[in-house]
Amino acid sequence: MKKWLLLLLFLAGFSWAIANFQGLSAQGQYDSLVFDFKESLSTAEIETKVKSLSEQFQTDLTYNSEFSLNDHVFIAKGDEKLLNTIKKSGIDEFTEFVEPNFTYQVSFSPNDPDFDKQWNLKSINMESAWQASRGRGTTVAVIDTGIAPVTDLRRTRLVPGYDFVNDRKNATDDHGHGTHVAGTIAQSTNNNFGVAGIAYEAQLMPLKVLGRSGAGTVADIAESIRFAADNGADVINMSLGGGGESQLMREAIEYAHKKGVVIVAAAGNAARSAVEFPARYPHVIGVSALDAEGQKAPYSNYGAGVDISAPGGSLRDNNGLGGILQNTINPRDGSSIFAAFQGTSMASPHVAGVAALIRSIGVQNPDQVEQVLKQSAVAVKDDASNYFGTGKLDASKAVSLAAQKSFGFHGLMGWLRNGLFLGPRFWFDARAVNWGYKLLMLATAAVIAWLFRLPWNWPMGWGLVLGSTGLFILRCFHLVDLPHWPLRVLGSSFPELGGAIQGANALNPLTANVLMAFALIVFFLSHPQLKWFALGSSAGITACLAVSAFVAPQVVWLGSTAVAQGFLAINALLCLALVYLASKSATRSA
Amino acid sequence: MTIEAEGTITHQSFGLGVWALTASDTTYELFEPPPELQQEGLMVKVTGNVRDDMMTVAMIGPVLDIQSFEILGS
Repeated sequence: MKKWLLLLLFLAGFSWAIANFQGLSAQGQYDSLVFDFKESLSTAEIETKVKSLSEQFQTDLTYNSEFSLNDHVFIAKGDEKLLNTIKKSGIDEFTEFVEPNFTYQVSFSPNDPDFDKQWNLKSINMESAWQASRGRGTTVAVIDTGIAPVTDLRRTRLVPGYDFVNDRKNATDDHGHGTHVAGTIAQSTNNNFGVAGIAYEAQLMPLKVLGRSGAGTVADIAESIRFAADNGADVINMSLGGGGESQLMREAIEYAHKKGVVIVAAAGNAARSAVEFPARYPHVIGVSALDAEGQKAPYSNYGAGVDISAPGGSLRDNNGLGGILQNTINPRDGSSIFAAFQGTSMASPHVAGVAALIRSIGVQNPDQVEQVLKQSAVAVKDDASNYFGTGKLDASKAVSLAAQKSFGFHGLMGWLRNGLFLGPRFWFDARAVNWGYKLLMLATAAVIAWLFRLPWNWPMGWGLVLGSTGLFILRCFHLVDLPHWPLRVLGSSFPELGGAIQGANALNPLTANVLMAFALIVFFLSHPQLKWFALGSSAGITACLAVSAFVAPQVVWLGSTAVAQGFLAINALLCLALVYLASKSATRSA
Repeated sequence: MTIEAEGTITHQSFGLGVWALTASDTTYELFEPPPELQQEGLMVKVTGNVRDDMMTVAMIGPVLDIQSFEILGS
């Protein structure tokens, strides 16, 4: 029995983990129809038919493209109703088929109003990468000037960091660079405000090592690398560079790498061959910068030490629109501003963000993450001076490759976080149920069963589940072209049945009451096995009604009013009394 | 390491901007330059320490911590 409950809890947790995966829930939508005329028809015949169909159905059939007449393909505005009418009109005589002209949305486009200005995110194919991962479960340490809590980072999770410049815990930003870099990695995204960030479900760890002037010491930076490694960072971004070789720094990098941290650093902005330290150290992924045209940015360092290239922008282009736009602070007064910056400083966080996506998918080893980044990069031919490293960063290809490589435990965890691809005809929409309520109902039902000392056997367990939540996971599955109501009914608890048949989320008072429990107990109390099913069900119904009364009292015809709440609460109490009395009787006769 | 350098002051657009000294062979990033030197196009002769122990957001070249300077013209 315990194993069974554990399995149930696992399934619930499993589904909870993929609750935010939206990519598979988008059903095909259309507002136009496609007509494919038979190959045997002449152009003149098709034109005649097109004209008569346009008149008959009051909709204009037009060419889909310049090739359409030769291909015999036309489109027309129309919905499902029109499609059905057309299909019944005997159109089969002269068409191969008429079908919905589905609009496909295979990528996720955030609603941040200035996302359109982020050419950089589009150039690395973020929209399709976000379908697979948004960096959940990973931590990116930003070793920089600190991170200020600007408006467009409000929804981004920050973990405790440290200010090594002023030796204090609050690592806020007094310069503006670190906040901008943090924005590229994990700006709050799809929040109807500002701009987007790459791994916006990742956590940021602010580590301030550079002062107000934008400079800092190697000693502080080395210390911050060790801090990041010791405090759970998965990725380190260092949009900084300069100075000479340092044993202290080299050892800190070795230490972090051994602890499994992916380390990314900017190549430098001196337009010279060879990257700056720390990008030059082993185990550090050195990033050169691309402009909006995908060329090496004029300032970017290149040559030895460049592992990969990413958008860094160039303010010379497009009246400043060629820069990288993020939310940061104005250092003069600390106010929140949106600013376009350029530099390999901006390129490095693109790679760090994608590294977080890869980690989130389940590839953990830092060398493997580097390998995925490099293998998935778009290679540039004839790159004799090594402007681009192995190529240009491609987030979409990187997450696809990561998914292929992420077998094993970490891969499973990554799949749980980011969702399962079930195929185009079969998808899982975890938002169909409120997982918190369901788990609360299950837990409440279990407590009631424990209080009344119901025996933990199979009939009681099944009763408990069917009475409280039903096989609610079934509600999340959809099979294309098949009605959803059977799964909805199978996925409902006894009190929810009325609402499920109606297709409503609210409880129907005809089934959400004590009568179902009463009937089960009357019918089965004398049966040696089924009486436990009846008792378990009644305990489950009590839990369902009680949790609904307190958390979400939605009842058909009664709404979410105090009356609805009272109705549910009274029925829950009656149910509880019934379980109490029946359990005494059942235990005596057992 | 103390050096002497002669060149032109420039303001470069990395992050929120950084002051640089463009000398004949090297571009130096000026570390917290005095206000008198924060003027685009100024010809100067400076003496200062190259800070090998520092890293910066600008990454445009060696960091120069100015000890003394002489303005040659603009």
